[in-house]
Amino acid sequence: MRRTNWLAALLIAPLLLLILGSFLVPVGLTLFRAVQDREVAQALPETSAILAAWDGQGLPPEAAFAAVARELGAALEARRIGDVAQRMNFARTGMRSTLLRTARAAERLRAPYAASLVALDARWGQAETWLLLRSAGGPVTSLYLLRAMDFTQTPDGGVVQAPTDERLYRTLFLRTFGISLLVTAICVLLAYPVAYTIARLRAPWSSIALTLVLIPFWSSVLVRTTAWFVLLQREGPVNGALLGMGLLEAPAQVIGTRIAVVLALVHVLLPFAILPMHSVMTRLDATYLRAAASLGANGMQRFLRVWLPLSLPGVLAGGAMVFLLAVGMYTAPALVGGDRDQMVAWFIANFLNRDVNWGMAAALSAYLLAMTGAIVALARILTGGMVGARG
Amino acid sequence: MRRFLAPLAAMMLGLFATPLLARDLTVVAGGGALQDHMRATLFSTFANGPVVDTAYDYNVGPIRAMVQARNVTWDVVMVEAPDLVRGCEDGIFERIDWSVVNRDKFMPGGATTCGAGAIGWGVSVFYDEARHPTGPANFVEFWDTQRFPGRRSLRRGARMTLEIALMGDGVPAAEVYKVLATPAGQQRAFAALDRLRPNLTFWTGGQQPIELVNSGEVAYAVAFVGRVANGIRAGQRYALRWPTLLYAYDSWAVVRGSANAAAGMQLIEHITNPAPLLALTRLWPINPVNQAVADDPDVRARNPLMMTNHQAGGLEIDTEFWLEHGPDLEQRFAAWLNR
Repeated sequence: MRRTNWLAALLIAPLLLLILGSFLVPVGLTLFRAVQDREVAQALPETSAILAAWDGQGLPPEAAFAAVARELGAALEARRIGDVAQRMNFARTGMRSTLLRTARAAERLRAPYAASLVALDARWGQAETWLLLRSAGGPVTSLYLLRAMDFTQTPDGGVVQAPTDERLYRTLFLRTFGISLLVTAICVLLAYPVAYTIARLRAPWSSIALTLVLIPFWSSVLVRTTAWFVLLQREGPVNGALLGMGLLEAPAQVIGTRIAVVLALVHVLLPFAILPMHSVMTRLDATYLRAAASLGANGMQRFLRVWLPLSLPGVLAGGAMVFLLAVGMYTAPALVGGDRDQMVAWFIANFLNRDVNWGMAAALSAYLLAMTGAIVALARILTGGMVGARG
Repeated sequence: MRRFLAPLAAMMLGLFATPLLARDLTVVAGGGALQDHMRATLFSTFANGPVVDTAYDYNVGPIRAMVQARNVTWDVVMVEAPDLVRGCEDGIFERIDWSVVNRDKFMPGGATTCGAGAIGWGVSVFYDEARHPTGPANFVEFWDTQRFPGRRSLRRGARMTLEIALMGDGVPAAEVYKVLATPAGQQRAFAALDRLRPNLTFWTGGQQPIELVNSGEVAYAVAFVGRVANGIRAGQRYALRWPTLLYAYDSWAVVRGSANAAAGMQLIEHITNPAPLLALTRLWPINPVNQAVADDPDVRARNPLMMTNHQAGGLEIDTEFWLEHGPDLEQRFAAWLNR
């Protein structure tokens, strides 16, 4: 027995290593970027060391001024200054120009640096600048995780809410989960009767129906979403038909609304709800229903007390699948949604590709992953009793 | 058996050897019809070997990842000014070899450490004269919904939109960036956007404003002048309001660590030369950064819709301003949009 276990472990080892190497490790490394803080320590190692030893009272010693001037000049020369400039500018807007101005002037600056740096840029005379530099010394930071929840840090290390006109991400998370849950609910309600019907169909018709469900996968999500854009626009066929039939007096504005986003997402994700439900339902033993009927249960009772509890694992799997995919969607909201319909995933992609701020992208991803995991786990716990009851 | 094995072995070796073979020089630009024309006139006329071209969406994240992973598969890239400056500071782009590329042929500011000027682009107010006989001629009028009722469309994003908002509030173009650098100026820009918001639709893709105006969904839009000019050349009755122009220049850069860096420099020298650029101006109203081509009276006369002809009164988008204030203002814009 032991020997077979060992053999089994050996057999699944390649798969385990593959999952570990291609999934868990990269995801872990990406999430670590949410707290990693190495730009300043890498570009300005000596300055960081001096500031780490500094008591934070008043201004730092002359050695810090000398080190920052020399190291900024060297970083500019070695073309490593962009990262540290972006990191500091993200902490406080305006730091970018201070650092670059200092780096460009580094060769001309003379001792005492405490005086010449302040003469070059008044920011060097403010304790706040130095406290910011010290707090960015690494190796880890809470800056990105705080910003991604609309908090900000004061120079002395306190945490406060971001100003009202900068708050964004909490709204985004709430909206993302709100839209995703709504889409999941609609998909489950629509998919259940479809899966039921397909499961009860006879041999050739069931495969034909299943193929029809699968056909949308032949075209990309982008194409399907764009199709909605074409259909729903003001002078599009849907408005045209409704106007022609006299059901509308003026074209309805659907593109740019929440309705369009939900519609497009439901359409794209519906097959993911149908398939797990269908696979569970086809494996259900029809004799249970006959047994229930022979014991006097009417149609409603047979459905509610036999079929529904037995098919619930499929509902749960389909719902979880739709929810997980909806949370990560960003093409559909960007294409057919309006200004107030953007979801978190769009901002993650933007930070990753456009702003190249991988710390913020990782922080938003970490929250999204944690919240999604929590919601799916909660759904399992809440429905666990019902699903378990069948045993 | 041996008869089969030898070719098979050779094939296997070939499979393994392929990545070691030299990759064709790869140039990356913004795609679309412009890139088709650039392929025909710029890339295919390069004498030193074949050039493959591919399109990207101006997202520099992938280039950065490519350089960090030391697996550079792009050689020459057309980049926007802020991405060029930051990429140069970070060592994402090679320094241009100014002994290969002639630096004197560029317009002022067209030759920088890591970039050689490619083409200019801009945005301006435009509308369909078939639907609206008159329309706003400047941004103050663009904001005047009494005189010019109807929906307006701007790009979804802080860059360009906040400058436009200040000009709509009466700030002269020359002072826009000075005002926008102050908290009070930023408040003023957002307040101006607040006023226009009931009449505002934002676009994301460059073709969207054209479609919005064509379908009558909006009356007046700010759009890329190149696309509007092509519409006019195709027979549309667009009014393009040149005094509302905001413009910038894209540059050619070589990705750092490219195995074809030397050939890349030669390609940049070739595609910024007058002969291939003049051929390109016959197909597309480009805005060259090559001084001789930009000054060519024949080119200017032939392309009345060329931005080069109208840029005197326009506002050049400030690269350094957006590198510094971009992260903050873009987030505030997104927050404003979501309110």
